[in-house]
Amino acid sequence: MSLLEIHGVSVRFGGVRALSDVSFRVNRGEIFGLVGPNGAGKTTLFNAVTGVVRPTTGRITFDEHEIGHLKPHKRARLGIGRTFQNLQLFGAMTVLENLMLPVDAFARRGLVSDAFRLPMASFEERRANERARAMLHFLRLDGIDGLRANDLPVGIQRRVELARALCLRPKLLLLDEPASGLDARETAELAEALPMIRERFGTTMLLVDHDMALVMRVCDHITVLDFGEVISSGPPDVIRSDPRVIKAYLGEEVA
Amino acid sequence: MNDNVRLRRITVVAALAVAIVVPLFISNFYQFEASEIAVLAILVLSLVVITGYVGQISFCQYSFAAIGAFTVGSLVGGHHWSFWLALVVAVAFSSVVGILVGIPALRLSGLFLAILTVAVALFFDRFLLAAGTWDSFSGGLNPWRVGRPSFFGIGLDGPYAYYAFTLGAFAVMAWLVWNLRIGKTGRVLRAIRGSEIAASMIGIDVTLWKLAAFGLSAGLAGLAGGLLAAGVGGVSPPSFDFLHSIQIAALATVMGVESIASAAAGALALVAVPEILTHTPISADYFPLFVGGVLIVQLVFAPQGAVPKMVEDIKHLLARGRHGEPDATTDEISAKVTV
Amino acid sequence: MILASANFGLFPSYTVIGLVLGGTYALAAIGLVLIYRVSGVLHFGHGAVAMFATFIAYTVSVEHGLPSIIGLFAAIVTGAALGYIIERFTIRPLRDRPALTKVVITIGWLLVLQTLAGAIWKNTAYHRPVQLVSRSGFKLPVLNLIIGYDQLTTLLVAIGLAVGTAALLRYTTLGISMRAVADDPGAARLWGVNVNRVTAASWMVGSAMGAVAGVLVTPQISFTTFALTLIVIDAFTAALIGRLSSLPWTVVGAVALGLAQTYPRMVTNISGSGEAATFLLVIVTLFVLFRPGAQRVRLA
Repeated sequence: MSLLEIHGVSVRFGGVRALSDVSFRVNRGEIFGLVGPNGAGKTTLFNAVTGVVRPTTGRITFDEHEIGHLKPHKRARLGIGRTFQNLQLFGAMTVLENLMLPVDAFARRGLVSDAFRLPMASFEERRANERARAMLHFLRLDGIDGLRANDLPVGIQRRVELARALCLRPKLLLLDEPASGLDARETAELAEALPMIRERFGTTMLLVDHDMALVMRVCDHITVLDFGEVISSGPPDVIRSDPRVIKAYLGEEVA
Repeated sequence: MNDNVRLRRITVVAALAVAIVVPLFISNFYQFEASEIAVLAILVLSLVVITGYVGQISFCQYSFAAIGAFTVGSLVGGHHWSFWLALVVAVAFSSVVGILVGIPALRLSGLFLAILTVAVALFFDRFLLAAGTWDSFSGGLNPWRVGRPSFFGIGLDGPYAYYAFTLGAFAVMAWLVWNLRIGKTGRVLRAIRGSEIAASMIGIDVTLWKLAAFGLSAGLAGLAGGLLAAGVGGVSPPSFDFLHSIQIAALATVMGVESIASAAAGALALVAVPEILTHTPISADYFPLFVGGVLIVQLVFAPQGAVPKMVEDIKHLLARGRHGEPDATTDEISAKVTV
Repeated sequence: MILASANFGLFPSYTVIGLVLGGTYALAAIGLVLIYRVSGVLHFGHGAVAMFATFIAYTVSVEHGLPSIIGLFAAIVTGAALGYIIERFTIRPLRDRPALTKVVITIGWLLVLQTLAGAIWKNTAYHRPVQLVSRSGFKLPVLNLIIGYDQLTTLLVAIGLAVGTAALLRYTTLGISMRAVADDPGAARLWGVNVNRVTAASWMVGSAMGAVAGVLVTPQISFTTFALTLIVIDAFTAALIGRLSSLPWTVVGAVALGLAQTYPRMVTNISGSGEAATFLLVIVTLFVLFRPGAQRVRLA
């Protein structure tokens, strides 16, 4: 049962074709990997799915809705969450505040009930607080809730950003280079965390990363991009031995 | 954390007590000036919302105030409406104009937004409020006369009575804005300030929130304008000109545009300093010079503002006295997070 | 609204007035763009500096009766000096701070200079403008139009300085260094450019041009401290039309603004009609030319 469908998506920036006729589908509950050499178009694809970039051609379907015309925050509300390669935490805010925001964004109370401290506002404030703390506990981040996001080391920041995306309770989570800047131990923790997240929240994940070992280990299905085009698609074993993939990465055929 | 909250509560209560009691013993004229301070504090509060919380520079707050003032002026002075009804209309009208100004502001970065607000301020100053353009609103060459209203039966003609009323108005507004700040609204606005793209990725409709903030800020300014009209008893365009807008923006920056306390401090400075100057050989006309000079010096040495710096220094002093603990290092933070 | 009987026969005269006004705006705007591109600061105090320098010219020429060319020279020197002081002591030390902070500092300077000038020369007093060239004019035969020598001179000076600035930027070492710093200060430093000196020079040249603009414009607008300080807004508008980088388009924008402010006076005598035109132009420009993601054009 597919959750996300990419049909023939192309993206052009001026004269550059960042993506050419890319198609693939991500099924519910899958951990799906998207790999390729630098500049292959992976981040562009993420931007197209989240609505930051408009595809020149093609369709994107999420949960059986076509979402190509929706603004980014609407797609988030539909259940698409994202982490960023270059970490977009709200640096000046505390970890707890960062994690409360996804619930804040969905809260129905407006300015007025906020300003007058109406009961609904306090109720939703507590709810955001509880969910944030629960998520901190789940990702074993208790104890840092009061610290400013900017003051944290990179490994912890990545975990916080992941936690924040999860507070959205997304159906689909896009992970853009989540292992970037992590050492071997932290990467291993990440590799354990992702299936745990799937098990606990039922989240489908679309993962982009350069760490091939990580991708091979966690993903059920992998699509390989090169120069904006799909060159291979299948389970890790198939990809591992696909000569086209090896050529794209190493630039030569393996006999 | 709790100590900070307690300290804050004590400070607020003490400040309120001083603000209520002390003016009982000063002359009528100073009581009137005190009410001016309270009203201008609401105006600076509007700046705190738009610049401090949302991070957008605005040089046209006095223009929004002018809308409030002249709406009250023309409705009460020209059409004999009830003051309170006129005030409600004034706040609504200025909020709407604020949202309108916010629309082009959405796609402009800070610098160009500043230029836009300058253009708006000059548009009001030189065109809209100039005699001959829209006299039924601006009053043309004859300033509107607005009398003091009565508040639930209590006449506000007396200077202390009006001061108490405006102080109450500021206190209420400050409380509302404070609640916004510590609640979801404050977080969302800070998130937008931090990273608009991340904010939209977690479902925040950045456009809506920014426009709401513009509307809120302009509404506060409009309220201040309306109250100014009642305080002074009349409205005339020069009180709302471009220079005033620059000056108040500069003062708010000097005081620290992110804190509500600086709203009070800024308003206090705006009225008290020129008043003090009149008692010295230096003319009060030199006030903008001081503002500009202090602004320059301030920005070179303490960019986040005088008031927050003082608050932080006090906090550090108290914290060090109690715990003597340095800030956590990175390693200590990592150790806290279990594997 | 009061509509004066539209007198379209005066169209050529109004055109000349508009062109001359536009010429002075162009000078102020070029100075502004130069400062912005080389140092990254939007100098809100540009008009105030020009105003102060112009009042120095006033003191020299009108109060003390020296030839107006000396007054002009004094204005240029004052402008350059103020530009240097502002850059050297309040902008350069803040190199690493966000651009917004430096802009706010220029606003501080606006307040300081404005108040000082008001104190020295009295805000509301009427000042006789600095007359560089006589007001008498000559008649253009075909269009049945009288052009004042001062108008002609202003136009020529404006054109001359605009061309001169373009030449400076293209052909002189200093100019090329300025463009280098405008593009990439780090790279320029690596190539041996003395970024500090070049930046200071851009402020001095830019402010001097503003000073010239101030002196030239005084016969045409009310010569008060505030009116001249506000010329910065007109300069901004023109600079915006030039996308804050293209000098030729800045000139075009300045001329367009000058005309846009003048023509409404043909059909109405509402005092602020010129300002309304400016405001509209600013809005339209901001919307059309500054859509997020628009490409930046190279300086000169």
